Amino acid sequence: MRRRHVAAGMMAAVVAATTVLGGCSGKKADTGSTAAGEKQTAGTEQAAGTEAAGDADKSSWISEEPVEITVMMKDNPSQPLKVDAPMREEIFKKTNIKLNVQIVPNSSYEEKKNIVLGTNNFPDIIFIPNMADVVTYGNSGVFEPLTQYLNEEDMPNLYKFWQEYPEMKKYLLGDELYVFPVVAREETANGFGPVIRQDLLEANNLETPKTFDELLDVLIKFKELYPDSIPWTGRKGTPNLFKTTSYMLGSGYGDNGLYYDFDEEKFVFGPASTNFKAVLDYLNRAYEAGVLDPEFATTTAEQMESKLSSGKSLFYLDNSGFGQNYTKMLRKVEGQENATFQVLPIPENSFGQRRATAYATELPGRFYALNAGSKHKEEIIKLMDWLYSKEGSDITNYGVEGVSFEYDEKGEPQFKEDYVMKFKDAQPSDYYAIYTDLGITKLDFCMWACNTKTWFEIQQMDGNWDEVADEYWKIIEEDDAYVQPHIFPTLSEEESEKVKDILVDVNTMLEQEYNKYIMGQEEIDNWDNVIKRCEDMGIRELEDIYNQAEARVNAQ
Amino acid sequence: MSKPTFSKKPQSTASKMFSIFNYTVLALIGFIMFYPMFYVFIVSISSAEYINQGLVTFFPRGINFEAYKRVFQNDAIWIGYKNTFLYTGLGTLINVMMTAMCAYPLSRKEFYGRGPLTVLITVTMFINGGMIPLYLVVNGVHIINTMWAVILPSAISTYNMIVMRTSFSSIPDSLIESAHLDGANDIQILSKIILPLSKPILATMVLFYAVSHWNSYFPAMLYLNDQSKYPVQVIMRDIVIEGDLAQGGDMSGMMNVISTNYKYAVIIISIIPILMIYPFLQKYFTKGVMVGAVKG
Repeated sequence: MRRRHVAAGMMAAVVAATTVLGGCSGKKADTGSTAAGEKQTAGTEQAAGTEAAGDADKSSWISEEPVEITVMMKDNPSQPLKVDAPMREEIFKKTNIKLNVQIVPNSSYEEKKNIVLGTNNFPDIIFIPNMADVVTYGNSGVFEPLTQYLNEEDMPNLYKFWQEYPEMKKYLLGDELYVFPVVAREETANGFGPVIRQDLLEANNLETPKTFDELLDVLIKFKELYPDSIPWTGRKGTPNLFKTTSYMLGSGYGDNGLYYDFDEEKFVFGPASTNFKAVLDYLNRAYEAGVLDPEFATTTAEQMESKLSSGKSLFYLDNSGFGQNYTKMLRKVEGQENATFQVLPIPENSFGQRRATAYATELPGRFYALNAGSKHKEEIIKLMDWLYSKEGSDITNYGVEGVSFEYDEKGEPQFKEDYVMKFKDAQPSDYYAIYTDLGITKLDFCMWACNTKTWFEIQQMDGNWDEVADEYWKIIEEDDAYVQPHIFPTLSEEESEKVKDILVDVNTMLEQEYNKYIMGQEEIDNWDNVIKRCEDMGIRELEDIYNQAEARVNAQ
Repeated sequence: MSKPTFSKKPQSTASKMFSIFNYTVLALIGFIMFYPMFYVFIVSISSAEYINQGLVTFFPRGINFEAYKRVFQNDAIWIGYKNTFLYTGLGTLINVMMTAMCAYPLSRKEFYGRGPLTVLITVTMFINGGMIPLYLVVNGVHIINTMWAVILPSAISTYNMIVMRTSFSSIPDSLIESAHLDGANDIQILSKIILPLSKPILATMVLFYAVSHWNSYFPAMLYLNDQSKYPVQVIMRDIVIEGDLAQGGDMSGMMNVISTNYKYAVIIISIIPILMIYPFLQKYFTKGVMVGAVKG
């Protein structure tokens, strides 16, 4: 009897499954897909809930009818994005445009973006993490060309920035602009910098090093005093070591090795220049003195963090902002209550220069593209321009007026203390907790964006701003060695192909050479032979391509 | 499995030595297999200071459950869990159904066109359409951003179907013939004779499919757009990999925000349910996975 039931149940299930399948492939929209699907078709349905916007001030409305547009965004570990963040509500109230965000996990963004762009199945607006995608997809016609709107009439606010920052011309592909670049608002930036255990310098009466040679002497001294320590550690292997140190040491190593030399005013492939020998020489001396981590070529970010926040390592040269976190972690360790990591003013290198690149404070290299097939282009253009305006920027950086911020007598937005204090003890940081809660600043949908400005304001308000931080930012701000990163010109598709071909060959060859020189298996002078091999592989041609592209942009 | 029997014969020294050696080596291999998971577990309950200093190796230090508390406070994980259970449950049901229905006719010798069909089906194991065509098909049938996009494209795994077909073909033809004579049609034969006789292989299939659904993140990441539809694996992968990305961030405010113990707690939580299925299916599993091993 029981057996029969089981069999009957299975039969029923088979039938059910078949019907479900049939229904699915046959009819276009069955119960499953109507739920909230079809967003790819981009906002054909109009936003429900007009009531919310009904009684609001209509002066800034972009459209009489509520319009729903979809934006594909990249999530972020520091600031997880929320679909229903107050900032989006506020934008709806002000503009009558409902933002519907598709949040893609950070780790999957590349794949997802490539497939939706490749199949032309992306929503109205899509976040573009770098210009390479514009080169790949720009000419295929999936993005709306934007120069037609770039004038006083259609986009007055963006046009203002366009004139203010001539560097933006580098975002042109040919003569056409395909992306809305994010513009930073009153930002402060740190960059790669040497960070040392200030407390140990003081405890041992050592002077703050003024040159890189003095720095090496100090580190050697550290090694003598603390034989168990590995004074200088890093992360992510040899290329990252060059990326962080080379420019300061007189050469350079940007993405893939190419960098812009501000002193010579041209693009140079770092490892193929004679100055690069100074970098190798310095690292070699550090390695042989036992100062540089013997595992420098393989060490990971986690290992670096572990070594620095346990007191095993005493110096690093990388994003100098990390130091504050290490200080906090280190002080929890017994006997390290006074430990302090502090950035050094950039020391002088062997050529007598003091130089470093900061992170971008003007144009942070974040872009949004508009789908050429979108049904609401007119409204989107207006919305984007509104986001570049002060009102739009205030809302996307400070949240909701009356709830999270108020205007002061000068008309500048200020966070409200009672709101900020709620997040005083939030983990991992108060300011990112606020950014997440409101859906604001650079990592969310924001065109004229703050990140550090709001961060400092929040921490100074809730009391998390400490002396180490204060001193740190003072040193960075007073240091005139930092320059803003140079934006690479956009290459044509042919040029990009050529560049890719040359770089693959050259970098494969170089990766086998670097460590030999740092570890002293080869004489530094033999590096000339390596340069010769780079030249044979077409490295000068690569430099020319970039310098010509740069000249092309400047001529425009 | 038969119960272990202990022989009462006295063992020779050599054979004792062999046993000792044998067990030591096996224990060592077992430990190597077990340690990574154990490590993930002890890190997840240790405190961050000790982990950062690299002091957690064999025993947890500074035991606390903060990481788990934080994981449980994360709504995304709960929603992900719900979705994973749904996709795994429904997906596995459809998988087993479809696989059985495909395997049955192919296992019967008198089925017309059996040879060419088998070849056509087998070809899909070696040649597939690729990601973009598949995405276009899924988009074309309008199941993007629905759970069907995760479940349907992989409704039948060719490999599993062949295993099942082989198992079905070991059921004697005479049994099916006699059912025919009694007036049963093919659907009745499949549901009342074949399937009840194939419990081990069904259990194996359930396990294979359930595990693959449980672990799958790629289709979900590709076809789903709403966070509220993501399975737990997408969220877990994000937490684990994003933690590394954050450290590479070249922005002023970036820092390592996801602590190792949090990452590992997420991993533990996401593997426990599927681990618990194994013991219940094991008795079938050892039988089922061998079915068809002898008969080609």
